[in-house]
Amino acid sequence: MKKFAPFIFFGLVILGLLLILSSCNDGRNDSALNPQTGAGGSMARFAITGNTLYIVSKQSLEVYDIGDGASPVKTVQKDMGVGIETIFPYRDNLYVGAMDGMYIYDNSTPRDPKLLTKYQHVQSCDPVVVQGKYAYVTLRNGVTCRPGNTLSSLDVVDVSNPAQPVMVHTQPMSSPYGLGVSGNKLFVCEGTKGFTVLDITNPAAPLFKHTFEDLPAYDVIVRDKHLIITGEKGLFQYKYDDADNVEFLSKIPVL
Amino acid sequence: MKNLFRLFFLLAIVTSCVTDGSDSFERFPFDGTGYRPIYKTAEEMAKIEVIGAQPLSKPGKIYVLEPYLFINESGQGIHIVDNSDPKNPKNISFISIIGNYDMAAKGTFLYADNLTNLVVFDISNPKAPKLTKTVPNAIPVNNYPPFDGVYFECVESKNGIVTGWEKVPMSKRPNCSR
Repeated sequence: MKKFAPFIFFGLVILGLLLILSSCNDGRNDSALNPQTGAGGSMARFAITGNTLYIVSKQSLEVYDIGDGASPVKTVQKDMGVGIETIFPYRDNLYVGAMDGMYIYDNSTPRDPKLLTKYQHVQSCDPVVVQGKYAYVTLRNGVTCRPGNTLSSLDVVDVSNPAQPVMVHTQPMSSPYGLGVSGNKLFVCEGTKGFTVLDITNPAAPLFKHTFEDLPAYDVIVRDKHLIITGEKGLFQYKYDDADNVEFLSKIPVL
Repeated sequence: MKNLFRLFFLLAIVTSCVTDGSDSFERFPFDGTGYRPIYKTAEEMAKIEVIGAQPLSKPGKIYVLEPYLFINESGQGIHIVDNSDPKNPKNISFISIIGNYDMAAKGTFLYADNLTNLVVFDISNPKAPKLTKTVPNAIPVNNYPPFDGVYFECVESKNGIVTGWEKVPMSKRPNCSR
């Protein structure tokens, strides 16, 4: 009997794998059963939640129904101000980063989002990410972003009542681009200045931990302690753990 | 009376942005340079092709739909990467799309911008994505350069779609400004 145990074990493993693989195929054939939706970075102008595709142009929010994935159907267009840059869906809200503020939409009717409020700030470029009750907004100065102003910053905005956002914290940053949040970590891409890690054990008061200066970063996606970062040197992947150990996984270099 | 006032106000706004006629009022000093629109024709814009894997050159935004990774090549298209093993990602194909900076994907479909168009690809076989739909004029664009206090050549829609702006010396002050 002992002799057969490994065979039985392998047989079960193969059976299990087959089950997993076939269930994946089923899911692909019927996206309604298993909506396999991806994730973008904070710099995105495109975002998908459920059967809805959101696109922000420089001046509007464009909403498409993608129930039939091959053939998007426009449901509504919301004219916005100027200088619209990014969109980040979180729970029942859409957070839209613009050059002069952050728009928050109620998204409970995905096909027809309703503007709740606009959180105004100084002229800048500002992607936003949200976790729990806080939105993290970076404000970057630059030629087309914050003319005549020299400060870049990271703002923490309490959005527990999305109709009444309140800024609770601000701190200077060197040149923030995209950012990502997961658990007690906040990651900020700082262009050629590198990649900055902040501790948000207290989510309302990010604590600077470290800047990886040899890692030019433009945008980041964080998933399950896995970092995917793009920058002028290429695409870099890392894994990290609770003890703050960072393991390099791979890179696709710029050639 | 109030309406008349509003009308004047509106006119003031409209005329403040775009001036016409070469002898129009100079709103700010002309320094001998201006912005010129870079156009693409509708045919150039529609040219979308899938080619073999390309090296990254100017990577932009990223999008994950496990096990695949999509990496934008600024203004040029999308790299598709098989990231089943993040320690050994495999660059598998490239979709050449003019004016592409953004994308999102769900199930077996990839959505991307192609200047003002929204394009849809069937990525059931990510080595050979197929263009399934083009939604024209899905993404409105500004017909002026992204700077304030500059003069620029007015956009002529018959020349095509504006993909960018170049700053060039100009002997004569162009008619548009902002």
